[in-house]
Amino acid sequence: MSTANNTPIAKVEYTKEKKVGEGTYAVVYLGTKQSTGRQIAVKEIKTSEFKDGLDMSAIREVKYLQEMQHDNVIELIDIFMAYDNLNLVLEFLPTDLEVIIKDKSILFTPADIKSWMLMTLRGVHHCHRNFILHRDLKPNNLLVSPDGIIKVADFGLARAIPAPHENLTSNVVTRWYRAPELLFGARHYTSAIDIWSVGVIFAELMLRIPYLPGQNDVDQMEVTFRALGTPTDKDWPEVSSFNSYNKLQIYPPPSTFELRKRFIAASENALKFMSGMLTMNPVKRWSAIECLESEYFQEMPPPTNPSEIPLPK
Amino acid sequence: MSPGTTTTTSRPGTSSSSSPSSSSLASFESELYLSRPYFTRRQISKLQSKTITDHRSYNSKKLTIVRYLSDLCVHLSFPRKTLETAIYYYQRYHLFHPFETELTYTLALGCLILSCKQVETITKINDIVNLSFVLRNGKPLPMTSPSSAVELENMKKRIFNLELKVLKSCSFDYRINNYIHIDEFIIKFGQKLNFHFQICHLAWIIEYDVFKLDLLLIIPQHVIALATLKLATELYGQDLEIWNKLETFTNLQVEKLSFKQAYFDILNFYINTFDLCDLKDNLPTDVPPISINEFMALKKRAGSEVGLEDITNNTSKFQQEIVDADPYLNINQNEFKMAREKRYVLSQDLIEQEVISLKK
Repeated sequence: MSTANNTPIAKVEYTKEKKVGEGTYAVVYLGTKQSTGRQIAVKEIKTSEFKDGLDMSAIREVKYLQEMQHDNVIELIDIFMAYDNLNLVLEFLPTDLEVIIKDKSILFTPADIKSWMLMTLRGVHHCHRNFILHRDLKPNNLLVSPDGIIKVADFGLARAIPAPHENLTSNVVTRWYRAPELLFGARHYTSAIDIWSVGVIFAELMLRIPYLPGQNDVDQMEVTFRALGTPTDKDWPEVSSFNSYNKLQIYPPPSTFELRKRFIAASENALKFMSGMLTMNPVKRWSAIECLESEYFQEMPPPTNPSEIPLPK
Repeated sequence: MSPGTTTTTSRPGTSSSSSPSSSSLASFESELYLSRPYFTRRQISKLQSKTITDHRSYNSKKLTIVRYLSDLCVHLSFPRKTLETAIYYYQRYHLFHPFETELTYTLALGCLILSCKQVETITKINDIVNLSFVLRNGKPLPMTSPSSAVELENMKKRIFNLELKVLKSCSFDYRINNYIHIDEFIIKFGQKLNFHFQICHLAWIIEYDVFKLDLLLIIPQHVIALATLKLATELYGQDLEIWNKLETFTNLQVEKLSFKQAYFDILNFYINTFDLCDLKDNLPTDVPPISINEFMALKKRAGSEVGLEDITNNTSKFQQEIVDADPYLNINQNEFKMAREKRYVLSQDLIEQEVISLKK
């Protein structure tokens, strides 16, 4: 028993064994939960380095992960303070989709991609039905467990779905995965921005290179609209009222033939599924439910069992 | 694990179950706090008995702080939920940390800044701190002078230090002030119950007076919202049948005893401390002037005062014994510096899983 007079060998529940990464607001360690022997990741929040106190990303991460428990969303296991530092204990996830896409030694099939998309969309749907926008979906934030399960992670930019009168910042989502309404600087947006990101990730999984790699914010508009067509008032009423619209080059949307050429291995339903997610008008863009109910998931081949999908060695 | 520090949630008026105190756990130098977002009034008294020596001073300072925070919120155009969350934090802090008069304004500022982060009304910290100087001293800090810059930085350091302490007082449980706020639920419930805009407006004014009570620590916000709506309908002279129907409460997921507790607490506030209320000076034009008499009549009509169990059984020795024996209410968070790890958990399941694993 631990008392002031009789101090035993101090044993804590969470150990930090190896530093595996460092971000702007946290250092990540691999560790073990002693009582169960479970491998875990500990995110140690840098509380002293911020001029604005506790970082918003840390607050958001805790706030939203506390609300959710789902197979396809990273689990926040615990929170603890040690030596005046705040630590978040998260489930240990050894790799992510970006690593898998870039590792050319790994061969994956259309059925593997379908399995990843299914798991990703289940995670995203769970966020949306809990009124949470992720706002930073990209392959790097889709972590993969040792048994192949995709977990949506990094809720540092997440926020609650806003009330109609609330203004938001459009400076969210990593550039290549940014929806057109964000590129136009919209001050109000919906869960449709996350679906766009999933659409771009789907294309990237099929191509194994980034689909819309803009060099900067202006170039991102050019790259996006050249690939997918410039939106017009006909499909997206009042889109031309965005300030930056007038400077745009008008490109036609790609024909079905062009899309087939770009994505040779994709079925008609896969292309329909992708086009649903990459619809310019956010109101017409597919919701997570529409995506999950699409024919793409009902046709052959069935999604691979996650444990059978190859992982990096 | 230090004995007595692992605690469990308890329903108001019931005892907390014992901690996992098997000897196999004893070698862990870790403290475990299971979040308890709400307390009963008796539990609050127990906690405050260790942190507040002069209740009169605390109560009068609290009124000043509510005014100070609301002035800041009005100047910064923050919604009511920012003020509500800041006041929850302020009161919660003093359940676990001593009330010190000289610290109150800095603490209030820290609570407001944290609240801004919680409810996403993000504003530059310097703007909030500078405005606080204006409101308290009548002029901003002269930013050209080096001493002012140092003063500002020191102030911010003190605030950030308090920020973590406030979060610890809440067991890092963000669920309480995340989606449910009184002002938003006044509108949502008002719409659901087909109330006129003016009823909701009056309830919104009553809500401001609620901040002067300790109800935020006892009752969930949506329940308080419904209680303010009931009072608003009554002040408009409406005697509605819906308040007698159980389905009104079940449909809105409002626990009836908690609702009654909130309703009677608000009525009692107006009856006992009418002079302190802001309602009387801010009545909408179509509401006739009110006095204590209206509230006394409402109380008389409401019948016997019922609410959460431990408050109605004021004389129950048994209830007090339970509170006295509750380890959660008896620890001083500052005293346990021995532990290398202080864990903040939201779910009883996690603790039970650990106990099972350790027993294997």
